[in-house]
Amino acid sequence: MRDVTVGGLGKTFGAQSVLAGLDLEVPAGSLTAILGPSGSGKTTLLRLLAGFERADTGTIGIGGVLVDGPGAYLPPERRRIGYVPQEGSLFPHLTVAGNIGFGLPAGQRRGGKVDALLETVGLGGFGRRYPHQLSGGQQQRVALARALAIEPAVVLLDEPFASLDAHLRASVRADVQEIFRRAGTTAVLVTHDQDEALSVADRVAALRDGRIAQCAPPEDLYSRPANPRLASFIGEANLLEGVVSGATVKTLLGALPLDPAAAIPGAAGQVTVLIRPEQIDIAPNEDGLTAHVTSYRYHGHDAVLCAQPEDDAGVAPLVVRITGGPHRPVGSAVTLRARGPVFAWLAD
Amino acid sequence: MTLPAGIQDVQDVQHATGTGAGRRTSRPVALLTASALVAALMAVPLVFLLIEAAGSGAGELKGLIFRSLTWSLLWNTVRLAAVVTVACAVIGTGAAWCVERTDLPGRRVWAVLVVIPLAIPDFVVSFGWNSLWTWAHGFTGAVIVMTLAVYPLVYLPVAASLRVADPGQEEVARSLGVGRVRTFARITLGQARGAILGGCLLVALVLLAEFGAFEILGYQTFTTEIFTEFHGYSFAASCALSLVLVLLSLLVLAGEGALRGRGGRVTRTGPMTQRITPPQRLGRLRWPVLALFAALVLLALGIPVASAVYWMTAGLPPALSGGANVSLLNAAAHTAGYGAAAGALATVLAFPVALLAVRHAGRVRHLLERSTYLVLGMPGVVVAFALSYFTERYTAGFGYGTPALLTACYAVMFFPLALVGVKASLARAPVALDEVARSLGQRRLAVLCRVTARIAGPGLVAAFCLVFLSVVTELTATLLLIPTGTQTLATQFWSYETNLSYSQAAPFALVMIVVAAVPSYLLWRFFQRPAITRG
Repeated sequence: MRDVTVGGLGKTFGAQSVLAGLDLEVPAGSLTAILGPSGSGKTTLLRLLAGFERADTGTIGIGGVLVDGPGAYLPPERRRIGYVPQEGSLFPHLTVAGNIGFGLPAGQRRGGKVDALLETVGLGGFGRRYPHQLSGGQQQRVALARALAIEPAVVLLDEPFASLDAHLRASVRADVQEIFRRAGTTAVLVTHDQDEALSVADRVAALRDGRIAQCAPPEDLYSRPANPRLASFIGEANLLEGVVSGATVKTLLGALPLDPAAAIPGAAGQVTVLIRPEQIDIAPNEDGLTAHVTSYRYHGHDAVLCAQPEDDAGVAPLVVRITGGPHRPVGSAVTLRARGPVFAWLAD
Repeated sequence: MTLPAGIQDVQDVQHATGTGAGRRTSRPVALLTASALVAALMAVPLVFLLIEAAGSGAGELKGLIFRSLTWSLLWNTVRLAAVVTVACAVIGTGAAWCVERTDLPGRRVWAVLVVIPLAIPDFVVSFGWNSLWTWAHGFTGAVIVMTLAVYPLVYLPVAASLRVADPGQEEVARSLGVGRVRTFARITLGQARGAILGGCLLVALVLLAEFGAFEILGYQTFTTEIFTEFHGYSFAASCALSLVLVLLSLLVLAGEGALRGRGGRVTRTGPMTQRITPPQRLGRLRWPVLALFAALVLLALGIPVASAVYWMTAGLPPALSGGANVSLLNAAAHTAGYGAAAGALATVLAFPVALLAVRHAGRVRHLLERSTYLVLGMPGVVVAFALSYFTERYTAGFGYGTPALLTACYAVMFFPLALVGVKASLARAPVALDEVARSLGQRRLAVLCRVTARIAGPGLVAAFCLVFLSVVTELTATLLLIPTGTQTLATQFWSYETNLSYSQAAPFALVMIVVAAVPSYLLWRFFQRPAITRG
């Protein structure tokens, strides 16, 4: 179990700067997700951590050892990194057992350890099959077992669930999470899927413009993002103007309790307030903000509607997530009510 | 004889759909150096030819090129190439479509039978016809013999491309109201276009390079004339004619490139699953088509084999006397030895170039790879002539008539074949696997042994087989460069044949067919395998 420390990491391909002074701390034993849109440099970061590429600037330390930096470079085979690539990349010429035992010393390639790993990933008895005889989810789990076999200091996963069908994704995700919890392995997972990042990881690092914009536990990142831009990047966000006085903040939706974590100096002044769609409800009576529905999307477990406040044409429509209730046709009137506590930043 | 570069199209598709390949950032200095050396080696014959031509003076060169002989050779070569290429395109494409896409009875058997003629040397086919019927000579004979000998060069790539092309496109065309015939013309032929062109290119190049068959049939082309001039020690004339021939080959290559353009690629959207689509029903055409297939196999395979058997049994006692047996074994051993040596050498030479091509992007590697394909435009007689004359001019004859020079000549001649095979096999081992292996604690060399070589192995064997097969059936360069006193199957056959000792020549033809059959079979197995390995 090792920690990973990245400082000022920079990487440029041709004229394109991919990473620009990226800092990241991955605590030992944690499962950290790197969340970023496609093309944001997530895979480049992983490849630098694994040692497949060299950094232009900055340093990478694994377990206190400098593996990449000025004058230092440890090749991938000496980093003890368990790498699980996007497509699994199983060796097509080897059986499942052969794949898992690949990184082990010749004497240990068959027998107990490989079988135990097969059990761990829920594929007991699959040892003699070939990769092409497995489903996508099974291939992914073999790739994971293969990485775990070498008892890696850190496991790196590159969009490990992206190639799986939706119904399979949730179960494989849960299995992987469980495997890591039990093994206590330090793991870094990159993904563009917020759901995945928030549900699997202990810590989520949002990657934007070649830097980590914020790295925090998922709950914090979602409800207390570092700035309004990040708030819109992680999930849907209603950003409203508000005025703070003491422990409450006055908004279009009335006075709401302010999250104590929102450190507003002097506890007063103009702020930007974050209200997540699920913090807004449709009130059963007329007590609230009157608005009319501009769009309505039904998802089964919930529904998301956009509502334009009647009196305030200058405000963007509010995004509201409701559970249950009748169908809300476009144009119908609704009364909205918000629940606190809400997070806020000092307005620029 | 050369083999399907059209298979490249199929492999390109695999490459495009394969993931993880082609990303590496560090400059592969060692690879670039090795590839540049290989490219330089490949360029030796052409460069030497140009230097010689320049040295002999413009006036003399002009005189040697612009004479009536050149025009008659040009007419002979071009009209034959045109007729045979078209005939091969029709037969090869038609047969491939019937085998791959229709309910032709016995498709699996036909698929093998129509390819076997490729393993029979062209000069054995012409011997088969010419020794039985005297009318089979000249232009008519050349058209018949060459068409029957080389149509598989179109059949193989077209069949391969039809196998991976999406049959769904035909269904969509039909659903859009396009009839059966027009669907075939607009969709199916479009899908196979690249493969047909690739096959035709090979046919045309083979025709330009062919020597033995035309010699037997008494048909004069550039290649036969270069051979004659060279044997008569008219080096300047050989040189001048070689230049024209190379120019012709390069024109064919350029023409194919222009025709191919950007379209005509076999592309398939979505996952590469082999969907089973019901074959097209031949209906009333079933028996006529079957009869055509039977006739094709009878003419292309039956007659050469039957003829060789006939002549052998006709002269049974002398042919199988003790001495003849020993010479047969000796020749077979020499042939196999040269085939193996050249196969290994060409595969090794192709490796760095292929690795560069498959795994590293960049203009330099593109240029290097292209430059090695120039050899395709160098007929064997020209390569052999250039190399032997090279030793004469620069090493005072040292190296001439040695096994090493002949092996090198083969390796240069058949380098493009090896490159196609090695590239295809390396494309099956994406870089991502190397990276995973390294992250699992394996050093570069271990990765090469335990992953890359293991996955690419069968393809390397295929590349080796391609070259081996070509060497077994090679005659022209062999006759020019074989060490004195050594005989291969081809040269021994040739010396008996030219003495009209048909019954003594026949066993050599049969053994050649058998020796070539083994690598042919392995090759066939290789290209028959499902193209995509998941994971």
